[in-house]
Amino acid sequence: MKGNAANQWGPESGRNEALPLDADRRFTGRLVSIFGDNTGGTTILHYLVDLPGAGYGDFEYVVAGPVRSMTPVAPAASWHEREVHEQYGVEFIGHPHLRPLMRHSRFDSGLPSNGSTQEMEESQFLRVQGEGVCEIPVGPVHAGIIEPGHFRFSVVGDTVLHLQLRLFYTHKGTEKLFEGRVATDAVPIAESVSGDNCFAHAVAYCQAVEGVHQAIVPPKANAIRLIGLELERLLAHIGDLGALCGDVGFAVPAAYCARIKEDLLQASAKIVGTRYWRGVAVPGGVRHEIGSADGRELKESIRIAVEDFVGIAEQALRTPSLEDRFEGAGILAPNRAADLAVVGPVARACGIALDVRRDHPYGAYKNLNFDVPTWHYGDVMARARIRMMEVHASARLLLDYLEALPAGPIWLPLPAISTGRAFAAVEAPRGELVYWLRVEEGKIARCHVRSPSFQNWPALPFAVTGNIIADFPLINKSFNLSYSGCDR
Amino acid sequence: MITDVMFHSLRSRSQLIPVEDLIRDCAGSRMPEIIPELLTAPIAAAAAEVCPTRAITTDTPVEGGCALRLDYGKCIGCGRCVEVGDGAIRPAKRFSHSGVSRSELVQTWQTGSGVEAQAGEMHTSARDRVYALLGRALNIRQLDPGSCNGCEAEITALTNPYYDLERFGIHFVASPKHADMLLITGPVTRNMATAVQKTYEAVPLPKLVVAVGACGCSGGIFDRRNCPVGTLVNLNEEIIGPVDSLLPVHGYIPGCPPTPAMLVSGILEVLNRYTGRK
Ligand code: SF4
Ligand code: SF4
Repeated sequence: MKGNAANQWGPESGRNEALPLDADRRFTGRLVSIFGDNTGGTTILHYLVDLPGAGYGDFEYVVAGPVRSMTPVAPAASWHEREVHEQYGVEFIGHPHLRPLMRHSRFDSGLPSNGSTQEMEESQFLRVQGEGVCEIPVGPVHAGIIEPGHFRFSVVGDTVLHLQLRLFYTHKGTEKLFEGRVATDAVPIAESVSGDNCFAHAVAYCQAVEGVHQAIVPPKANAIRLIGLELERLLAHIGDLGALCGDVGFAVPAAYCARIKEDLLQASAKIVGTRYWRGVAVPGGVRHEIGSADGRELKESIRIAVEDFVGIAEQALRTPSLEDRFEGAGILAPNRAADLAVVGPVARACGIALDVRRDHPYGAYKNLNFDVPTWHYGDVMARARIRMMEVHASARLLLDYLEALPAGPIWLPLPAISTGRAFAAVEAPRGELVYWLRVEEGKIARCHVRSPSFQNWPALPFAVTGNIIADFPLINKSFNLSYSGCDR
Repeated sequence: MITDVMFHSLRSRSQLIPVEDLIRDCAGSRMPEIIPELLTAPIAAAAAEVCPTRAITTDTPVEGGCALRLDYGKCIGCGRCVEVGDGAIRPAKRFSHSGVSRSELVQTWQTGSGVEAQAGEMHTSARDRVYALLGRALNIRQLDPGSCNGCEAEITALTNPYYDLERFGIHFVASPKHADMLLITGPVTRNMATAVQKTYEAVPLPKLVVAVGACGCSGGIFDRRNCPVGTLVNLNEEIIGPVDSLLPVHGYIPGCPPTPAMLVSGILEVLNRYTGRK
């Protein structure tokens, strides 16, 4: 992490003096995101940083010519800078390999134009050479019911020497799609960024809009949002543990978890009308009342589901054949995790206590005392264990909240403010999810989405290297990252 | 320990939902349904106004009313039309537009007259009977050329103990070379276009293609043609469009995402139409 030269990045702007570099020019914050924005023909870079003890900081940097890359100081910046380079044409000096991130099917951004597309495509991959090294390309179309992405393995025998990712096959220009939409009206787009975490995306987006309008959300709406968010976490973690068991051929717990997840989805459908809580959050509150009878019913479903789940999952995780596959597989070293600024259960499984709900509380979480469970080793077992603990914690929260729902309105009209900007962070099941929004005259001028998957994908190759290639599906599953959330 | 797990599973009750209860069920999808008797021109106009994907549109008012056109292929089930619908629009309980042709997803109602102006026509061409060759078993290869993974989550649910697609002899397979049907979700992105084409070519003949979700049917929320009138929309170069902009499609399953019951109904409807299998 230590930079070797003074003024590693952005020295030209006075405002950047405030950036969190210590006397040794080491980066002392946690990098949340880097993104560009364009106002009146000027490109502005935003460095979104989490400063320990001081909350989030949004540092601006006006681009005038090439910019020093931050990647040598903070490796987590690499993908962000590649994205900005691609979207805004900003040159980053000192970036180790500033190649296109998203539009890899069209090599039109400053790459050599001689040679065939095929050659150019191949030039994007690192070649590992030596006796017995062979290369295994996988994807973008995979074998299961999953999203597309390309993995390039270099292996010797069974052991993975190097893994290079090429994602962004599901890149849909979603951030651009927001632009021009009425800010209070664009929740369905946010819900379609990553469908299995759609409620977290919807809430994060709504909070950003509410930030622009400086709106107050009624307590009942916040409580319903908390229920939705925690239920989504339950669904995600129960599904993930089932899928992990399935990946090692342990079919019984896999089927159990699928059944329990389905029970919760059906309970949701009964109470809010949709299985995944789509269309529930709106800026200013929520659109579905949860009455006390509904609350009791949901509470009962959750109680049964969690009881069943804990029973089966505890048994499964103690089964020697499963322990054998989970333990020691896909270790992510804590220093790597910190360098790459990973978030969510992946970070917590290697001992990094990071949780937006505790560190930057929002909505109903403001009134809560929160323990962030962590685990050590950073292997597949740790990521499974962390999910178990979070299921317990979420279930406790849900049962408490459904016991005594606050009274009052579920929606309040937003104060009329048509121009402004704000950002909001939510702890989605996969980790910290950030929306940054600039609104001009009621319409969205720029919306940046930093999904937890975008932050965590670059860490996956480090967890895979040194393992046997047959363990890759398991390790990948234990990260369970969203392709669409990352690619947008 | 492993035996504990086994005993546990033997003791539990069966969850399987009988097929009669699955067909045409759409609970949890919030697909809207129009009550023609209650439909008025102001309601139709209000619904068209709030619809985020232009699934509901109205025709120019003729004397005493106007025509409401509902394209289920574009509907994302957001429920906004139900809110302004004042009883004339409500979440459907039964849904018969799963696995049908694109034109059958579109319905039109005339306000005031209380009658359905035109429902999409139903047909199966004799030429397609070749698909009877597929016989009893069906192998599905699921393909995601750019979905948001909501549809994938629901397709995965088809293998859970409630829906258990395997009971119909339907399997999900790993290779397109083993497949009879491609189940394609999401809008096709530019980055995936080549992969979609190659996957399609790898499926042996005869092959069926089913488009899943609002995105697969019409591009859904991502297609600029579906953006509400009056919003400034950028040209979205990253999207090619719905599945049928690239491949011939045999059946459409709407919804955002379609519920597992709608997926089962849709897959069985396509089979019924193209293979004569009930
Ligand atoms: S998308 Fe569907 S549910 Fe939403 S307003 Fe349009 S027709 Fe109604
Ligand atoms: S139809 Fe809806 S759930 Fe399916 S891919 Fe599109 S946005 Fe996602």
